[in-house]
Amino acid sequence: MRFHVVLLVLAILLVFTGCNKDSQDATTSKPTPYVISIPKFFPTELNIPPDNPMTVEGVELGRYLFYDGRISGRTEPDSLMSCSTCHVQAHSFVCGIDNPRFPGGHPYGLTGILTPHFMLPMINLVWVNNGYLWNGSLAPGNPLQAKRRLEDICWMAIVAPHEMYGDTNRSTTLIQSINGYPELFEKAFGSRTVTVKNMGRAIAQFVRTLISADSRFDRFLEGKVQLSEKERKGYVLFMTETGGDCFHCHGGEGNPLFTTNLFYNNGMDSIFGDPNDRYGFTGNAMDVGAYVAPTLRNVAFTAPYMHDGRFKTLDEVINFYSSGVVWSSSINPLMHHVSTHGVQLTPSQKSDLKDFILTLTDSSFVTKTAFARPSGFPDEK
Amino acid sequence: MKTSNVIMNLKSAVNVCITAVLVTAGLLIVPSCRKSGVTEDGSSKPTTLIIRFENMVDTLPLILDSMLYENSSDDLYKVSDLQYFISDINLHRNDGLNYKALNNDGIHYIDARTPSTLYWTINASVPSGTFDSISFTFGLNAEKNYSNRFLNPPERDMNWPDILGGGYHYIKMNLSWKKTGMVRAYPFNFHLGIGQIYKGNVINTDSILNYVQNFFYVNLPASAFSISQGQTKFMVVTMNLNKWFSGENEFDFAKYPNMMMQNQTAMHNACLNGRDAFTVRFTSGGK
Repeated sequence: MRFHVVLLVLAILLVFTGCNKDSQDATTSKPTPYVISIPKFFPTELNIPPDNPMTVEGVELGRYLFYDGRISGRTEPDSLMSCSTCHVQAHSFVCGIDNPRFPGGHPYGLTGILTPHFMLPMINLVWVNNGYLWNGSLAPGNPLQAKRRLEDICWMAIVAPHEMYGDTNRSTTLIQSINGYPELFEKAFGSRTVTVKNMGRAIAQFVRTLISADSRFDRFLEGKVQLSEKERKGYVLFMTETGGDCFHCHGGEGNPLFTTNLFYNNGMDSIFGDPNDRYGFTGNAMDVGAYVAPTLRNVAFTAPYMHDGRFKTLDEVINFYSSGVVWSSSINPLMHHVSTHGVQLTPSQKSDLKDFILTLTDSSFVTKTAFARPSGFPDEK
Repeated sequence: MKTSNVIMNLKSAVNVCITAVLVTAGLLIVPSCRKSGVTEDGSSKPTTLIIRFENMVDTLPLILDSMLYENSSDDLYKVSDLQYFISDINLHRNDGLNYKALNNDGIHYIDARTPSTLYWTINASVPSGTFDSISFTFGLNAEKNYSNRFLNPPERDMNWPDILGGGYHYIKMNLSWKKTGMVRAYPFNFHLGIGQIYKGNVINTDSILNYVQNFFYVNLPASAFSISQGQTKFMVVTMNLNKWFSGENEFDFAKYPNMMMQNQTAMHNACLNGRDAFTVRFTSGGK
């Protein structure tokens, strides 16, 4: 009998050690799974960490927090700042070159300090597996454990001098005190206590829902529409080595994200000094001057372009790739036209290429209600 | 009912409960034990072939991003990216029976920058016995090479434009080269895939007359080996990069305008050379 009791205790221990805190929380809160519908030809592997599964309640909470300026820990109208202060839906979640608050499209924080780089659009981030930010440093390889995941952006933005320049205790205390939020946290994560970790989890869930797959080019791939003759010519230029050779870095029909999410020195400079380039993260000499290739989806809405916003228009970007490429020892070999300073497109080819790139415009993405500012915050309901 | 009977019944009930809990725990534990390699039916270990892919430049191991190498045309070069597909590995027996590795539909992707891709473990019913030789397809054959086959990276990023024939690059070797004495090294994109025949040899996608499958079969020299039941055999397949640039067609980087995808002559010549780029050896361990 004693032997049986010992075995029983062991068995119970074995069974219960498999139950972690999250699953206990899930039992009490029972959030509803949020299923991401994967568009045709899109990758089937999603970057959703096991400890932050997508739920309807998590996404809803994340949307509120994304748009609520009180996440900065402040209540004075002039000091409110949220993710959406800079990440504007109408511009595919960059601030936009015509933003009245951020002239030229270069955002700055509550104290006026400019961000190190211009903005990247927040499109299809659920498929980013190589690290976030221009240099990809928000990645599993980051030596700082707290700077490895999309979930970590929340606390980073709260404390960064060039963003909210606050502190996380102040933010969590304020959010905790707002009617409605504790209930939303309980529904999403099983606890009414507001933590910066759960704030980050919720915002990351919302951001992972920001999917663009409804451009004219998507409908072309599905055989529903035809491209115009100019767009078709531009498409060929996009996809061929003897044309613009855009596809190696920016995808195409075989990669409808329109980015590899990889990092390239694309020949913009021959002298470098940015401590936040890819080299600043990897230490690999070939990464000097390298940055992620941004998605070209909705590029019509995301000016200015490049990490330093040097190009104000798409025409300037195309001109650069046509005749402005400069050599450096770390230029990516895919920039094989560097000996002629670019792909040397004619004016007509440039126009065709631009027309094709504009078929990647997904207007529904910038108007979709589910991505927009909520009609009211939890304490306003 | 006597007290002793009640106690006996209680003991019996407790024993039933304990047994139920133990059985449940056992069910929970046993599946995790299977992962450790102990088969459910106690049968012997599978016969396994572990292939390691090794990239060399003559006698030097490939070190990415290092200007250490020279081809037979006296071009100095460094390689920044090396990615390729090997498929349809066949083990040929002297009785005429072949064994074809079917893991991942018989396709393996190799990226010199990603160590995990340098190994391919084949343990799905490899038959024991003596094999005369080994062969494989470099790239993907026509049947397997269709667009949107791979939706996820890294294989996805090998996609080959539909307008140029579709499917996937067989190899992407992005390198920079220079002649001795030159200061600047210039890019060269050594990319192979489906080729195109252009009307009048003028490169214009509106005048493509035909497409050419450039994949090829490699019969590995001196590749006879034996494997016994339950044995794990280690095989190293070496690709010598310089062989791509020498042989039937000496490959001078200066001869081509830094790229090949729309130059069937260049791709054809490279493929002729590539047949001799591979060798195999067997080792007692994973090195």
